[in-house]
Amino acid sequence: MLEKERVIASDAAARAAGVCIGMRRGGVLTLAPTTLMRDRDGAAEVNAVREVATGLLNLSPQVVIAEESTVLVDVSASLRLFGGIRSLRRIARRVADAIGVSATISVAPTGQAAWLLARYRGGAHLSHDSLGRGLARLPVNLPPPARRHLDWLTGIGCETVGQLMRLPRAGLKKRCGTALLDLLDRASGDAPEVYEWFETPPTFQARVELPDRIEHAEACLFAARRLVVQLTGWLSQKQLAVTRIVLRLEHERGRDAIAPTTIEVSLAEPTWREDHLVRLLKERLTRVELAAAVIALQLAVQEVREAEAASDSLFPEPGGTASDHARLLELLVARLGPENVLRPAPVADHRPEVAARWVSVTDKTKYVAPATDTPRPTWLLEAPIKLLMRSERPFYGTPLRTVSSGERVEAGWFQGEPVTRDYFVAVGDDHICYWIFRERIGAVDDDEPRWFLHGMFG
Amino acid sequence: MSAVLLPEAIHQDLWRGNQLARARSRVVECGDTGLARELPGGGWPRGALTDLLVQQTGCGELRLLRPALAQLASKPVVMLQPPHNLQPTAFAWWGLDPANLMTVKAPRTADALWAAEQILRAGTCGALLFWQNHVRPESLRRLHLAAQASESLFFMLRPLATTRDASPAPLRIAIRAATDGVDIQFLKRRGPARDEPLFVALTPSPILNVKRNAIVDRRPSAVVVPRSVPAEVVA
Repeated sequence: MLEKERVIASDAAARAAGVCIGMRRGGVLTLAPTTLMRDRDGAAEVNAVREVATGLLNLSPQVVIAEESTVLVDVSASLRLFGGIRSLRRIARRVADAIGVSATISVAPTGQAAWLLARYRGGAHLSHDSLGRGLARLPVNLPPPARRHLDWLTGIGCETVGQLMRLPRAGLKKRCGTALLDLLDRASGDAPEVYEWFETPPTFQARVELPDRIEHAEACLFAARRLVVQLTGWLSQKQLAVTRIVLRLEHERGRDAIAPTTIEVSLAEPTWREDHLVRLLKERLTRVELAAAVIALQLAVQEVREAEAASDSLFPEPGGTASDHARLLELLVARLGPENVLRPAPVADHRPEVAARWVSVTDKTKYVAPATDTPRPTWLLEAPIKLLMRSERPFYGTPLRTVSSGERVEAGWFQGEPVTRDYFVAVGDDHICYWIFRERIGAVDDDEPRWFLHGMFG
Repeated sequence: MSAVLLPEAIHQDLWRGNQLARARSRVVECGDTGLARELPGGGWPRGALTDLLVQQTGCGELRLLRPALAQLASKPVVMLQPPHNLQPTAFAWWGLDPANLMTVKAPRTADALWAAEQILRAGTCGALLFWQNHVRPESLRRLHLAAQASESLFFMLRPLATTRDASPAPLRIAIRAATDGVDIQFLKRRGPARDEPLFVALTPSPILNVKRNAIVDRRPSAVVVPRSVPAEVVA
């Protein structure tokens, strides 16, 4: 990583090749000609820090973007909700991984101390005593106001923050100004801290540019996760739950501009949970056919609702809650398509194929309970099968014997598709009952009675 | 030696080869006393894969499950990959509420297996009925594991031709149609082998509009044979 033609950061492989901080471009190329060099992008860094801050809103609404790419979170009110400091650190680590940054995480009773620890190596100091020991070990060049006086400080043999704090306050104030003393007081908790909390915009829209062209929609999932983490942070700060989101896949611009592929996810049950949103997006992404390679992703919120606090009942039902079931349906719809997840919507009609109507679970048709006094077979064939006739009997595997009197169904003339049928229950030699009908004689210009199989008794 | 402990007295999960397993209350009553005597635990097992091998669709498999489905009350019942359309009116006629039914169709087998696993893992459905002709044993094992974590009834409905395929299901039953009911054969159960089929009467009978006049029509009329009168009566 270069800034103003000087190396400012390098990875382990580059260090092994002998690349040091402060080298020039030419020097690096001489040592390791295959090194990948990138210029520092200040705007991208600021963006990444903002993304991390938005994601960390999951932990607490009090988030500060501090100087030198550091984000401070006040978690004192969230400890019980998330189950202790360890699980909080784990969640913070997960957020950083999802955004795609490598982070140093530290915990301290004061924000300034946490900042100093995070700038060095991280670590957790929960009590004031252990914090004092931790601060004392930090190098003296860590507090920004001390850096200007680094030569003088090393000259008097002061190398750690602990030694710096032991210097006489009056002399330190005269030589280095009040800023350094204030910082040290804030870090040790002797002076109060005042922060300007991070404010989120009223609407949510996030965009991420992919590091490379992506040809498969599934591969966009890691970037989508990065957006969803920010979305959940935004939602939990605003205390909202989302009901409709749109993910746009921006395509590479070839000869003609290609309109971005839009994936719209509507939720029956408002949610703010990251795992559910990611699973839904994953199932949707597997079904998407890409017109061209994707170079950027954009996530926008279209509809939100006030979040309802989760209520824990004393005796949870073993079968899960209604919202669990709604989430299951959303997941099934996301992968199989709404036309394949069906619920009954019976119609009061004499024609069995019209009465047995199934609609998608996303359909808002009102459910009307069917009549309970009409005997019908469980299974209805998609289309009636014309039966062979053998010795004057309908034949389906075996000769069929009618065992009931007929039920006449005559309807549909008002829709131009008249149905005139006499339904019978027939039994084959293997004791299986069939629901067969005979087209009424005279309905078609045919002398032979025509028999059809239309249903089976499950 | 009366001091020898009987295995069934040591733990309820132990039983002898000639006894039926006693499952721990994780069953749904099957609604037929004869069948309950032959099923381990006295009913359909919850949280386990149950294989129903049917002679053909429509031989009475759903009416066999009707009492169990009626006990699930308002829990959703999912029909995954049904072979034909279901008529909600039929369920209303049986006294079940069709509003709890749900049909899921899957374009590919992999999707169907995925959907079955998701439904079982969510555990929000009272019963899952899954029609699938060919399933690999490892997929069945995976579904059985998913079922064990839930409290739902899980039935796989497959053709009789798959009788010889290996299956991890602790209960496998073959269903064949019979007059006014079904013949059930126990292919595999936690208990002694039983070769002869068990007849289970099913209600309601599909033959509803009985031909009342047909019997009158078909009764053979008395054949009048004047010569058959015994001679002594004539005399």
